[in-house]
Amino acid sequence: MAVDTKKCVGCSDCVVACQTENNVPIGYCRDWVVEVTDGTYPQLELELRSERCNHCENAPCVRCCPTGASYIEEGGIVKVKPHKCIGCGACIASCPYDARFVHPKGYVDKCTFCDHRIKDGLKPACVAVCPTKCMYFGDLNDPNSDVSKVLKLRKYKTLIPEAGTIPHLYFLI
Amino acid sequence: MREEIIVSGRNNHLIDPHLEIWEWQIPSYLFLGGLAAGILFFAGLYFIQKKEKEYNTAVAIAPIITPFLLVLGLFFLFLDLKHKLYFWQLYTTIKLESPMSWGAWVLMIVTPLSIVWAALHIRSVFPNWDWKFEFLRQFETFIAKYKTPMAWVMMISSVILGIYTGILLSAFNARPLWNTSILGPLFLTSGLSTGAATIILLSKSHKERLAFAKIDLLLIAIELFLIVHMLMGFRASTQVQIDASKLFLGGEFTAVFWVFVIGMGLTIPAILEIFELRAKKIPYIIAPIMVLVGGLILRFIMLHAGQMSRWLY
Repeated sequence: MAVDTKKCVGCSDCVVACQTENNVPIGYCRDWVVEVTDGTYPQLELELRSERCNHCENAPCVRCCPTGASYIEEGGIVKVKPHKCIGCGACIASCPYDARFVHPKGYVDKCTFCDHRIKDGLKPACVAVCPTKCMYFGDLNDPNSDVSKVLKLRKYKTLIPEAGTIPHLYFLI
Repeated sequence: MREEIIVSGRNNHLIDPHLEIWEWQIPSYLFLGGLAAGILFFAGLYFIQKKEKEYNTAVAIAPIITPFLLVLGLFFLFLDLKHKLYFWQLYTTIKLESPMSWGAWVLMIVTPLSIVWAALHIRSVFPNWDWKFEFLRQFETFIAKYKTPMAWVMMISSVILGIYTGILLSAFNARPLWNTSILGPLFLTSGLSTGAATIILLSKSHKERLAFAKIDLLLIAIELFLIVHMLMGFRASTQVQIDASKLFLGGEFTAVFWVFVIGMGLTIPAILEIFELRAKKIPYIIAPIMVLVGGLILRFIMLHAGQMSRWLY
């Protein structure tokens, strides 16, 4: 997934859409919007980012999970099997992006890229609802997908690549 | 100036404003696991060296408490789980890349071993102990023949257990304060030191106490070296680890770390032990109690400070 930081207005629609689509319990969220302000007034620079799980290729959460509840699904989506999760918290401590949380039912919950929607040919709820169309989703291995095309055209960054997790959430800059 | 805020108001329980996924259960377990590992290590070592008469407390008496320490530790681990009814999933998987998985399996080896070892030595505390059932008596005579191989397994698995308590944390690259390979050896040394302290507390032989005071002194010296080494490593590393070290060097945890861990947990007991070895009259229980409390506080501080350290982006 790619998020255009130049188009995002920080409306938090993606957050609400995700909560509604995935029945995220009240008080929790799987995605969030970060506002970064650089400089001192009047020379200010602003960046807005809609963040979520980075679906890392070298996912520390999957590596440290003692039961195999956290796994990388075919296609690269990092998911959790609730019936295998013991709620030990290792994956939560291992995530440099703090993208996971404990569901009130006890298991660990996180962004799934709305894989139930993808299977039906739809886009993830956050992408579909974005009023500025700042998010691009698709298969990175498919050169004709929305995300592959936009990553070819634009400059982008990932968050803390130095943590070595090979994140797959791209921010267009 | 750079300011980063979450404008959509993320407030995930136990995650925000900073990670608090592990509370008192994990550091308590790390302490109990390390302590049991320390006691079992000395029991195995001195049994193999055939010094069970000289060091009776280390080989026969102190190990009797280890099953209780381990079971209590395991209970704390269970309390920490947020999805408790699924805990058995731990024992359907062996995942070598997950320290928590092989730690759970090591505990499954060490705990029964400590129970058997304790059972074999129960008569050194209760001389008239009787197993009541014939099959238990038979099992005792059977297993008593294999004490030497058992001591070897116990010694090796207790080192793995002791070092695991540190590796569990150091495997988390996401928390810069934990992400140092020194943590494994540091927690192992601290575990051995608390084990030696327990033996001193339980021993009635002056000679044994002095021998373990000497061992403890050496372990404290190694611990101090490892802590200095760890902080030096942080200072010479990347920005996130420099920031992490600041938690102990001027930041939030400075006072508790230097007063309770370095001062009361390591330096003062070391001085007391030196006095004792030089035959000065000091109540011998003070130093080991300080070592034990210091070891517990070290686990608590490392755990909580580690959860506050993070990557910046």
